[in-house]
Amino acid sequence: MQVEYPKSSWTDRFLLLDLLEGLKTTFKELFKPKVTIRYPEERMEPADRFRGMFRFSYDRCIACKLCAVACPIDIIYIDVHDEMRDVDGKQKKMKVLDRYDIDVKRCMFCALCEEACPTKPKSIWLTSKTYELATYDRNDLYFNMQELEYWDDKPRYTGLPPEEGEEPRAIEGQKLIEG
Amino acid sequence: MFDVHEMEVNFGPQHPSTHGVLRVLLKVDGERIIEAKPIIGYLHRGTEKLFEHMAYPQCIPHTDRMDYVASATNNLGFVEAVEKLMGVTAQIPKRAQLMRVMLSELQRISSHLLWLATHAIDIGAMTPFFYCFREREEVLDLFESYCGARLTLNCMRIGGMPDDLPPGWLEDLEKFCAKFDAAVDEYESLLTNNRIWKRRTVGIGVLSPEEAIDWGITGPPLRGSGVEWDLRRAQPYECYPDIEFDIPIGKNGDTYDRYLVRMEEMRQSNRILKQCMPMIRATNPGEIKAKISRVVRPPEGEVYHSIESPKGELGYYIISDGKSQNAYRCHVRPPSFVNLQALPAMARGHLVSDLVALIGTIDIVLGEVDR
Amino acid sequence: MNPWLRYLVFPLVKFLIAFVIVQLIVMAMTWIERRMLGFIQARLGPNRVGPYGLLQAIADPVKLLLKEDILPSSAEKVAYFLGPMLPLLPAFVVFCLIPFGPPPTFIAARVNVALLLILALTSTGVYGIILGGWASNNKYSLMGGLRSAAQMVSYEVPFGLSIIGVLMLCGSLDLVKIVEYQERNVWNVLPQLVACFIFFVAMNAENNRTPFDLPEAESELVAGFHTEYSGMKFAFFMLSEYSMMLVNSCLMVSLYFGGWTLGGVVGSAHHQIGLTTAVLQSWGLLGGIIGTVIFTVKVMIFMVVYIWFRATFPRFRFDQLMDLGWKWLIPLALGNIAVTGILVLAGAEWLLSVFGAVVLIATIALVVRGPRAAPRQVAHASRVSEV
Repeated sequence: MQVEYPKSSWTDRFLLLDLLEGLKTTFKELFKPKVTIRYPEERMEPADRFRGMFRFSYDRCIACKLCAVACPIDIIYIDVHDEMRDVDGKQKKMKVLDRYDIDVKRCMFCALCEEACPTKPKSIWLTSKTYELATYDRNDLYFNMQELEYWDDKPRYTGLPPEEGEEPRAIEGQKLIEG
Repeated sequence: MFDVHEMEVNFGPQHPSTHGVLRVLLKVDGERIIEAKPIIGYLHRGTEKLFEHMAYPQCIPHTDRMDYVASATNNLGFVEAVEKLMGVTAQIPKRAQLMRVMLSELQRISSHLLWLATHAIDIGAMTPFFYCFREREEVLDLFESYCGARLTLNCMRIGGMPDDLPPGWLEDLEKFCAKFDAAVDEYESLLTNNRIWKRRTVGIGVLSPEEAIDWGITGPPLRGSGVEWDLRRAQPYECYPDIEFDIPIGKNGDTYDRYLVRMEEMRQSNRILKQCMPMIRATNPGEIKAKISRVVRPPEGEVYHSIESPKGELGYYIISDGKSQNAYRCHVRPPSFVNLQALPAMARGHLVSDLVALIGTIDIVLGEVDR
Repeated sequence: MNPWLRYLVFPLVKFLIAFVIVQLIVMAMTWIERRMLGFIQARLGPNRVGPYGLLQAIADPVKLLLKEDILPSSAEKVAYFLGPMLPLLPAFVVFCLIPFGPPPTFIAARVNVALLLILALTSTGVYGIILGGWASNNKYSLMGGLRSAAQMVSYEVPFGLSIIGVLMLCGSLDLVKIVEYQERNVWNVLPQLVACFIFFVAMNAENNRTPFDLPEAESELVAGFHTEYSGMKFAFFMLSEYSMMLVNSCLMVSLYFGGWTLGGVVGSAHHQIGLTTAVLQSWGLLGGIIGTVIFTVKVMIFMVVYIWFRATFPRFRFDQLMDLGWKWLIPLALGNIAVTGILVLAGAEWLLSVFGAVVLIATIALVVRGPRAAPRQVAHASRVSEV
């Protein structure tokens, strides 16, 4: 299908109507609502399936290591050992999770680990709707098992580094906008 | 060597209009370009080598990052190539095919919006940039509610799709499609008839159809020169044969024609989306994956499969040795890399100010050129 | 009255008042430009620094003052320092000559060849740009400076030629007399519509504003002639650009849009309606201030139009820019002079006004109606697949 070339009459050419049409469009835009979101007073709430920061559940995890195998960049470090435990009166060989670390600074948040997890509901998931992960120290982005589980209770950074011995402050009165 | 009047100017890797880190070595005579030599490689990340060490499902997030502007089509190309190698193309359920087509067309709209924004601002019109990004935000919101990410989507899997559509997604898509045509009209009112825009783009970078085919150019630059070749019609994949749409082609092969072709492609993508919505409502929710094993081990063989990405023909050439979970070799044919070859031919004889328009009109993404 | 007072002190005081107000307007322009560009582009402009970002206008000059003053080691020192200062001088001096309100109070120096003097002074603004571009010892700055100089010099010609039509109608070079002519007849925009348009285009090109801002285009030559300048020297270039914009807008308002009057008479010299000079002068100082306010409002409308044009249009390529100036605007201006001259000699100036009014009304009606594009028909599917 041939593209349409715009046809211009003599009035368009002499009265500069093409330029004035553009001016009319920009003039109309002056009165339309603006789309700026004033961060950090307003913040867009990500969607439900947003792939944000990890959450981990030690209770549900069966230490199968499928997530570590699925990760394209191998940033999940898992150590398990076998133990004989008493379950319902019988001795059963169970896997115990020693170490479950994730190096979030190299993560690309692709969620292949979440897809690989066989438990229902999943033991590792990314839908925590958090994307503000910036820190002042690289080592803060290496999360061990406890931090991954209780990560949500950590207050978020305001942007200023905390003083010596002070806790980082959460942002008060932030207004969330549905994305 | 150099004539008395020639000057060698470096249109350096760090420049606001090179769309990435492209370096163009120019030999100019005053303002006229005598020779333009693009030098690439500043964004090379060794993607093809990485593919040899990762299992096929793990490669998909890496394909996102090649053409980072249009990642759904990158995913689609890889996933289809592997499915072709495994021979399961016919088993993909209809719902998954429709979802793939819808995401690809949305991605085409998003990529063309970005192209229009940057092309216009390079030539000097600063407002279409913001208007295009305002519409692009809504497309990215649609992506986010489906697969969780906005730019590097990782939204397709070998054998189907990872998730079904979330509730309300189709209604949001309908709202978007209903107002998108008016938005394209708004951009056109600022640019298409504008005599300043026409002076900057008509007659710049003319490519004849024979030249375009000789250089191996595909996508909107080829269609702008008048060759009616679109892989969605020539080598149909997914459910494109069931959908009605037109392929816009230009006449003169200059920058203005390529601009008109891409604007019309945005409208046609909108038309495809509107057709897909009742079709997907007629399928059963939940049938989104073919029955193949989780561990992807294609039989021995090689395949080359290409799709129509927003930039042109995106091809994947995969050699599998039948035994391992990794590809033996995976080579990507990026459309921007091949289209960039035409830049010296197009730029000869034009002014330095036109070079900016030319780089914009080929629509290159350096992530794809360098991989 | 003591001649020292009348010819030295009072004009100096008036000039200083006008100068201060103009600098305040220029500072406010930086805020207005950013905010209005933002609003046109569906975003907010600066909104952090004060309420609605108003203190941004103060924050920007403070930042520029506190920046490091760089002198590139291979730059030509004297020319480097002189470059930013030269465009400022004509911009400041011209404010003495422009009538802001009804005479005799609201004009610092009433010269009867004011228009000629203004044209001559604004033409000297080119020197600073050439010096600035050359002294930086940077081939991109040199290219930008030479381009800008060529552009400014070639658009001086239509700038001057378009005014000649007004001169023929009004019969004097004195800006005050031109405004008084306009209030007796009709605002000069109607009989001289074509000349007004040429003047406006030449004004944009003189100030290096889009669509003629190639010398400053970031995407091509980094920043043109002011690449190597930072801090207060860069601020001087920006100040001179905005001051020249203001000067040109004031000229446009005085020459074509009635100056400080609102309303007047069409035809007869006996019926006075609206706020004419006589009415304003009869109210004394209050009338003068009202006249100044009217003048300022009109000038600000033109400054806003500058910003509106910057937001909407792409920029011209340099050879197209020169084409437009030499091949289109100059013949158009010469044609305007010829037609106006013939009609003035024949005593039929009203023909010009009628023509201007008809064209203006037709344009506005066509723009409001919108483009005549046929609704896009949904084409049938093309099943041509093989090449």
